[in-house]
Amino acid sequence: MMNAHKKNKQMDSILTEGNGEIIHDDILANELREAHGPKGAPQGDPIMQVRDLHVSFATEAGVCRAVRGVNFDLWRGRTLGIVGESGSGKSVTALSLIGLLDDNAKVEGSIRMNGVELIGRSDEEMSTIRGENIAMVFQDPLSALTPMFTIGDQIAESLLTHHPDMPKDKVHDRCVELLGLVGIPQPEERLKSFPHEFSGGMRQRVMIAIAIANEPDVIIADEPTTALDVTIQAQILEVLAKAQKETGAAVVLITHDLGVVAGAADDILVMYAGRPVERASIDDLFEKPSMPYTMGLLGAVPKPHVAANQRLVPIQGNPPSLVDIPSGCPFSPRCPLATPECSLEEPNLEPVDDSQGHLASCRRLKEIVDKDLKYTDVFPIPDAVRPQWAEMPRDQRPVTLDVEHLVKHFPLKGGGMFRRTVGKVAAVDDVTFSIRQGETLALVGESGSGKSTTLMEIMNLMKPEAGRITVLGHDLAEIKNRAERKELRKDLQIIFQDPMSSLDPRMPIYDVLAEPLRAQHWNKDDINHRVGELMELVGLNPDYVDRFPSQFSGGQRQRISIARALATDPKVLLLDEPIASLDVSIQAGVINLLEDLQAKLKISYLFVAHDLAVIRHISDRVAVMYLGQVVELGETQEVFTHPRHPYTKALLSAIPVPDPKIERTRSRIILSGDMPSPAENFAGCRFASRCPIKPTLSEEQRKMCESKRPVLTGDELNDTQFACHFPLDVDEAAF
Amino acid sequence: MLKFIAKRAANYVVMLYVAISFTYFMASAFMTPRSNYESRTPRPPQASIERTLDLANINDHTSVFVRYWHWLTNIVTKWDWGLSPSLESVNKALAPRILASTELVTLSTVLSIVLGVALGIYTAQRQYHWQDRLFSTLATFFLVIPSAVLALMIVLIAITVNDAAGFRIFYVTGLSSYSGDNLLLRFGDFLQHIILPTISLTLLGMVSYHLTQRTYLLDEMHADYVRTARSKGLTRKQAIRRHALRASLIPTGVNVAFSIASVFTGAVITESIFAINGLGRYFITAINNNDINASVAIAAFGGACTLVGALLADIFSAWLDPRIKMS
Repeated sequence: MMNAHKKNKQMDSILTEGNGEIIHDDILANELREAHGPKGAPQGDPIMQVRDLHVSFATEAGVCRAVRGVNFDLWRGRTLGIVGESGSGKSVTALSLIGLLDDNAKVEGSIRMNGVELIGRSDEEMSTIRGENIAMVFQDPLSALTPMFTIGDQIAESLLTHHPDMPKDKVHDRCVELLGLVGIPQPEERLKSFPHEFSGGMRQRVMIAIAIANEPDVIIADEPTTALDVTIQAQILEVLAKAQKETGAAVVLITHDLGVVAGAADDILVMYAGRPVERASIDDLFEKPSMPYTMGLLGAVPKPHVAANQRLVPIQGNPPSLVDIPSGCPFSPRCPLATPECSLEEPNLEPVDDSQGHLASCRRLKEIVDKDLKYTDVFPIPDAVRPQWAEMPRDQRPVTLDVEHLVKHFPLKGGGMFRRTVGKVAAVDDVTFSIRQGETLALVGESGSGKSTTLMEIMNLMKPEAGRITVLGHDLAEIKNRAERKELRKDLQIIFQDPMSSLDPRMPIYDVLAEPLRAQHWNKDDINHRVGELMELVGLNPDYVDRFPSQFSGGQRQRISIARALATDPKVLLLDEPIASLDVSIQAGVINLLEDLQAKLKISYLFVAHDLAVIRHISDRVAVMYLGQVVELGETQEVFTHPRHPYTKALLSAIPVPDPKIERTRSRIILSGDMPSPAENFAGCRFASRCPIKPTLSEEQRKMCESKRPVLTGDELNDTQFACHFPLDVDEAAF
Repeated sequence: MLKFIAKRAANYVVMLYVAISFTYFMASAFMTPRSNYESRTPRPPQASIERTLDLANINDHTSVFVRYWHWLTNIVTKWDWGLSPSLESVNKALAPRILASTELVTLSTVLSIVLGVALGIYTAQRQYHWQDRLFSTLATFFLVIPSAVLALMIVLIAITVNDAAGFRIFYVTGLSSYSGDNLLLRFGDFLQHIILPTISLTLLGMVSYHLTQRTYLLDEMHADYVRTARSKGLTRKQAIRRHALRASLIPTGVNVAFSIASVFTGAVITESIFAINGLGRYFITAINNNDINASVAIAAFGGACTLVGALLADIFSAWLDPRIKMS
């Protein structure tokens, strides 16, 4: 590989053509006033200037105008957060900076670096600055590295592409240095590893190492942590901050997660339907959101750090199609403040507070500023449906689902002709919880913790490998025949994560909803009646039953999934990450729907999720899982405020809070390394290898952690149960 | 690495043995060489029929297990694959035909792989451009045209060229007609014979490599890691060459390896039109003549080719993709 690089000598960098000339205009002047952030106002000249950027794609449906008039400047050492939902044009903006858009993209406007115009450059010309002056970290680390080459080769490639004459030993030393910088242990040895030998978090570290190899001036991070677990996300954000410090680069952080930008960005650009709708320094944006969409976005996210005492405020409707953008303000169809005039003309960014450079685009901006409207004024908080049965204390309600010491092992097959079993993967190893009627229990854990396996074991309705599952008083081990199992299945339904793939695309909605009823041998009239009833129950127009799933949006499709699950009037609903694939503004609507349904129908929810903010909002009780074991079980409120297990505490501290001021003052517990493989054999505590408490213990206590497996127990300090020999005190606050 | 290959090879030898034995029993059950003699007019005396069948070890009055054991011992101890119903040695008949087939298919196979894969790579990089459209249309044409028609067209064109030139540039039958000792002339003569069937087989063979390689590369070209490579500063072409191409060659390599057997025995039509005594025609004749031993021998050769191909495919994939473990 090495030789190939030398042969391909690159042309000279196009940046040498420039003279560092800066466009001094109102946009720049405005940005220079943005001072309400951790770093104050920007200093000096910007490194990159984007003016009136437009990107459109020719698609079969018509011209898709993905980006329509984006302006911003980037300064070295500062982070610009671009926030928006899917289809807002944030990723397209990022890719146009680095020139990696598809060939059918039409890019107009101006992107200048060192006074050199980048738009209209050929692939060869752009390649002289890609990786050298501007680098990118992508969303999915699992597919972003070439599986056939070693990590070392891939980092070296970014060095050698721009510095073909770099001697071999220097390249090697730099690669080792880079891997060390991004926190990969034993960098020297890991250079020879292949990507598949690394976990997702480690691969994202490698991606960052590749991005900073040539000390670029601009690093674009496109949803860099979206595909990662929350504790790994915290690690990666820290590495990214370190990389920025090390290189002094300007960072563009693109995300849909307001918590992530709150902790990492200096300035924020909110995008909607391809246009910037609000821009401000980080503190201004979170304190005084002025565009109704921004307000709605902030109101729609559940807050992990405060108790859920009020409902979320969903934004009605869906983002517009970029092929057919409505006239006037694209947000007006969803905006509670909208008047007929809003659909006449699209508003531009106008100053909210001139002295702070805070801009927002709304026709009624003056009104919002003058009356100092908060999001609670714009989006009135809907009243919660109070369940009539809520008066009954929890312990008097019947238990609907009871799981005790559930175990599920998968055999590990060896290679060779006979595929002998050489070990086992303890996917679920000691899971205990119980749910009462009308209650929501959340099962929390990172990927690989065994959440989904637990759900599947329950859905199987078979005798578990070990332990006991009791559904509505029926012990699954005692179910004798299929008829009994079928009868029970009616009362136990599941909703999956991805509403795109969990609905048959060739089945009209009527059939989707009727199928579970047919399986229970309902007659035609009853089914007809029930389908209409279900559609109304989940807030969809019953006339739409003859449409196909592809004609609905993601949020609507998830409502259909919910309706399907509710068809047989179940008593227990298992929800496997039901809102993880939905946009923030859509999530809130589905969460509210689930809450209403529970109040109306008295269903029990077993809610599996990795988003702790959502869990705090929706659940009554929570079970925290680590490597197949429930390590903490208790009231949500209590677990979130007084975690007893060190893992719970680390998990809570890793959640980014959508409030920049809190984010800046919080200290994070960054867990070292990744979750060990469940195929390993653990004599003692499964968390011991990463436990932040263990090093503080005495020699004898540590031995206990390593040799004796903790089981769920409680103590007199609070009602929570935990699987830890040395639990935390209750005065340890998580936030 | 060596251990891996040895292990795989051992596996394949066992598989091959089972497959060939199975073929032997099947062929013995379905083919009736006795009828070759009984239907003759005048009918040969019964004793002579029995003696001939016994000599060839294909007499259905003998237990098939006894025949099988006899056949197997001869192969293992003397590498003797038996006799045809007319008491000719299968070994002697097979060897020149394998040679002829090898001469016929080697060049065209190599050419169709190289040209097909190259064309696939070229057109994938120019997806939807006129070059891609042109070659895809041509590929579809060669995909649907029957090989006999194509071969005959080539023969007709060659004859026209010969007539126009006034002397014989292309031979349209056989593999050689020179009988002298001059090596250079001999080789020239061979080229004059081989060129037409090679063109015919190459055109037919490269089409599938072209179309599949194009698809494989298009899949890989849009992979995230190619975008990563470009973000490092590689141009699109460099990124495709260094990152996407390698992964896209794995399925092609497997295709090539598994097509070896069919290349040898599948050129029946081309062999017939160019009057070449290759394996394909021999296979058909053997089946028509109820020639149990020859059929099994050809099947064994095909099986061996397939398994050698499979072994090559294993090694090739493992070499290209480190995720495939060699242990």
